Amino acid sequence: MTPNVAAKAVANDGWRAPDGVLFRGECLNKSFGGVHAVRDISLDITQGSVFAIIGPNGAGKSTLLNLMSGIYQPDRGAMRLEGVDLVGLPAYRRVRLGLGRTFQKIRLFKHLTVLENVLAGFHVHHRIPAWQYIVHARVFQRDYARCRDEAMRLLEFVGLTPRAATPAASLAYGEQRMLELARALATAPRLLLIDEPAAGLNAAEVEKLLDRIGRLRARGMTIVVVEHNMDLVMQIADRVLVMDYGQYLFEGSPAEVQASPAVIAAYLGD
Amino acid sequence: MSTVILQQGINGIVFGSLYVLVALGLTLIYGVLVQINFAHADVVTLGAFAAYFFTFVFGGNYLVSIGVALVVGAALGWLVNAAIFAPLRERGSELLPLIATIGASILLQNAMLIWFGPIPYAFDSPYSNAVLRLWGGTYITWQNLIIIGVSTLTIAMLYAFMKLTYMGKALRAVAQDRETAGLMGIDPNKLIMLTFVIASALAGMGGAMLGPILVLTPFAGTTVIVKAFAIVIIGGFGNVEGTIIAGLLVGLIESYTTQLVNPGLTDIVVFTLLLAMLALRPTGLIAEKREENV
Amino acid sequence: MRLALLLAAAAAIAAVPVFFEDSYWRANLTICAINVMLAIGLDFILGYAGQLNLGHSAFYGIGAYASTLLIMKLDTPFWMAFALAMALSGVAGMALSIFAVRLRGHYLAIASLGFAVIVHQVLLNWISVTQGPLGIYAIKPPPAIALPGLPVIAFSNPANMFYLVAGFALLFYLLLDQLARSPIGETLTAIREDEVSAASLGINCAAWKVFAFGVGAAVAGAAGAFYASFVGTLVPDAFIITESFTILAMVILGGMGTLIGPVLGAIVLTILPELLRGFGDLRLVLYGFALMLAVLFMPGGMAQAARLARALCGRVLRAQVPG
Repeated sequence: MTPNVAAKAVANDGWRAPDGVLFRGECLNKSFGGVHAVRDISLDITQGSVFAIIGPNGAGKSTLLNLMSGIYQPDRGAMRLEGVDLVGLPAYRRVRLGLGRTFQKIRLFKHLTVLENVLAGFHVHHRIPAWQYIVHARVFQRDYARCRDEAMRLLEFVGLTPRAATPAASLAYGEQRMLELARALATAPRLLLIDEPAAGLNAAEVEKLLDRIGRLRARGMTIVVVEHNMDLVMQIADRVLVMDYGQYLFEGSPAEVQASPAVIAAYLGD
Repeated sequence: MSTVILQQGINGIVFGSLYVLVALGLTLIYGVLVQINFAHADVVTLGAFAAYFFTFVFGGNYLVSIGVALVVGAALGWLVNAAIFAPLRERGSELLPLIATIGASILLQNAMLIWFGPIPYAFDSPYSNAVLRLWGGTYITWQNLIIIGVSTLTIAMLYAFMKLTYMGKALRAVAQDRETAGLMGIDPNKLIMLTFVIASALAGMGGAMLGPILVLTPFAGTTVIVKAFAIVIIGGFGNVEGTIIAGLLVGLIESYTTQLVNPGLTDIVVFTLLLAMLALRPTGLIAEKREENV
Repeated sequence: MRLALLLAAAAAIAAVPVFFEDSYWRANLTICAINVMLAIGLDFILGYAGQLNLGHSAFYGIGAYASTLLIMKLDTPFWMAFALAMALSGVAGMALSIFAVRLRGHYLAIASLGFAVIVHQVLLNWISVTQGPLGIYAIKPPPAIALPGLPVIAFSNPANMFYLVAGFALLFYLLLDQLARSPIGETLTAIREDEVSAASLGINCAAWKVFAFGVGAAVAGAAGAFYASFVGTLVPDAFIITESFTILAMVILGGMGTLIGPVLGAIVLTILPELLRGFGDLRLVLYGFALMLAVLFMPGGMAQAARLARALCGRVLRAQVPG
C-alpha cells in the first residue's frame, strides 16, 4: 500500500479493512530519548492466524507489542482493530475492543491466588446492576457462579486446576507463564498478544505451550507471538515479521523467512 | 521596607539551610534505598537534646555540642538501619519500612517524653544574643551566622565527598542503579549503612542548631520533618542539588509569609506549593526522566 | 457462617453497654466504634486499592467540622448535615485521589501527608468560621428519635449513642465487606498488586482509585460527624496528622487487606491504652514498639496471627486423632 492510500485509510472513519484483516498497523514509530525503538513498521494481521514477530534482542519487538496493547502510544502512525482507530486509546480501553496480552517479565498479582488472578480477568465482562454489588441478589449470584465456572475451565485448559487456591507467587516459573495466559484469556480477546512465551521454559513446557496456542488458533482466535527463538516460531506461525534495530527486515511465511539471506545475516551477524 | 525584606531574607536562609541539612539526609536515604524514614524526625530531636545536655548539664562548649549531636545522630541512624531497614530489605515493600519507622518514631518520641518531659526546654545558645550589625540596619545573630557557616561547610564537604571520593561515587552509582555498585566491588549493605550514618549525622547536627531557634520538646523534630519531606519532593526525590535549592526556597517562603502575610499561613503556603508541584511537575525542580521497563 | 458472625457482632454491640455501666467506659466504647469506621475506611483505600494514604485524619476532620458548621451556622437538620458531611469528605477524598492517579507509592504518601497538614492548618487559621484553636463548644448530640409506641430514644444517653454509632459502624462494615466480596474487590486488589497488569485486563485504574478514595473518605466523614456530636467540642488538634498514624496503626496491627483485621485493630488499640493507663506515657512507647514488631515479624497483623493459630490448632487436633 502506498503512503497516499494509507493516509486516506486513516482519514476515512468508515474504512473497513480488506477481508480477513483483523489488525492493521501503518508506519508505526516510537522513540525513547534518542533511541528509535520502532521505525516505520506496518503490518496486517489476518483473522484467525498466528502472526509472529521475531528479531534479535533489542530489535523493538516488545516495544511494537506495547504500542499495539496501548502501554505506549506511537509517535507517528496508525493502528486499527477491525477498523476501530486505536491511536490515543489507553490500554484498558483496548481490552473492551478485544485486545488481550501477556507480559515478557511475568506480571501476575503475586499475593492473589491462582483462581483470583483469573477472576480479575473478567473485569470487562460483568453485567451486574450497581445495587447488586451491595446486595448480592440473583444477577450477582449468577454472574459469580458463571465467572467461577469459566475461570476453572480456563485453569483446566492451562493445566493449573490443582493449583487454584495457591498464591500466584508460589507457582513454578512455567506455571506462572501458563497462568498469565489463562488470565489474558479471561478477557475473551479476539486478538491475543503473547510476549516471549517460551522464555525460561523447559522443553516439555514449550511443547505444552505450543499445543495450547494451536488449540486457541483452532477455535478461531488471532494470536501475535513475539519471540526471539526462531525454531519455536517456525512451528506455529502462519506469517512472520522480522525486525532488526527497530526496522522492518522481512515479512513472509516461515519457509520464506528461513530462506531469506537478509534474515540469516541479521541472526548470524548478531 | 527594604530592610525588612533583607532581614527576612537572612532569616529565611538560616531556616532554609537547616531544612537542607535535614532534607539531604532523607533524600540520600531515598536515593539509595527508595524508602522513606519517618524516624529521621527523632534523630533531629535527639540531636537537639544531646546538644542541650552537653552544653547546659555538662557545661560543654556549644560549638563542640554540634559535634556531639552529629555523633549521636550517626549512632541512631546506624540503629534505625540495623533494626528496621536491613531486616525488611528482603521483602521489597515500600509500605512496610515506612510504617515500621512510624512505629519507631512513636516509640522514640514517647521515650523522650518520659525522659525529658513535655515542658519546652529553654535552649539559649551563648551566641543567640550576640548581634553582628550589617548594612542598612539589618543584623544577624552569631547563632545564625554559625548556622549558616556550619551548614554551608557541611554541605560543601558532603558534596566534595560525593563527587571526589570513591565511596561517594559508589554511593551515587547505587542511587542511579543498584547493580552498578556491585560491579564496583562495594558491598551494598555497607553503602546503605554508610548512607544512614551520614544522613543521620546531618540530621543530628541540624537538630543541635535548630534547638535554640525552635520550641524544644520531644515533638520538635516532627514539625521539621514534615517540611523536610515537602522539600525533598519539591527538589526531586534523591536529587541533592534540587534539595538544596528547595530547602532554601522553603526557608525564604516561610520567612516572607510570616512577615508579610500571616505567620499562621506558612504551612498552608508551603504545602500548597508541594501539592502544586506534585500535580504539575512530580519529578521535582530538576527533572530526571525514567522509562518504566515493561 | 457469615450470618452467625454478624448476629454475634450485633449481640456483642447490644450487650456491651450493659456490662460497662460507668460513663467513662461507655464513652470509650463509642470512640472505639468511631475508630472502627476510620480503620475500615482507610483499609479500603490502603489495604484493598493499595494506595498509600497518610492523610486520613483530614477526611475525619472535614466530616466533623462540616457537619458541625452546617448544623450550628446554617441550622441544617442533623441527618442532612451528616449526609452532606459524608459527601464532602468523599469529594475531598476523590480530589486527593487525583494525586493517586498521577503519582505512585511514596509520592502519594507525601502528597496525602501534605493534604492533611493543609486541612489541619486551615481549621486552625480560618478563625472566622472554625474559631481556630479556641474550638467549637456545646455541639448537640443527634436529635432524639420518637417512634410511635416506644419510649423516646435520646442520644444524650451514652448507651443509646453507642448503639447508634456502633450500628452505623456495623452497617459500613457490611457495606465495605459486600463491595470487597464482589468483583470490585478483585478489581481493587488487582490495582494494588500491579497497575500495568490491571490495565491489560481492561481495568481503568484511575477511575477505581477515585472510587476507593471516595468511599473510604466518606466513611471517615461519617466518623467525624459522629465524633463531633458525641464529644460535643471540636478543636483542630483532634485532626492533627499523627491521628492518621494512629488509624494506620490500627489497620496494620489488625491486618490490612482484610476487613475484620482493622476492626480488631481498632478495638484493641482503643481499649488497650485505656487499660494501660497506669503505665502513663510508657503505653505509647509500647504502642510504637508493637507497631514496629508487627511490621517486622507479623506484617499480616492479627488477621495473619489468627490464621496461623487456626492452622496450628488444626494440626494439633489432627495429630491427636490418630493417636
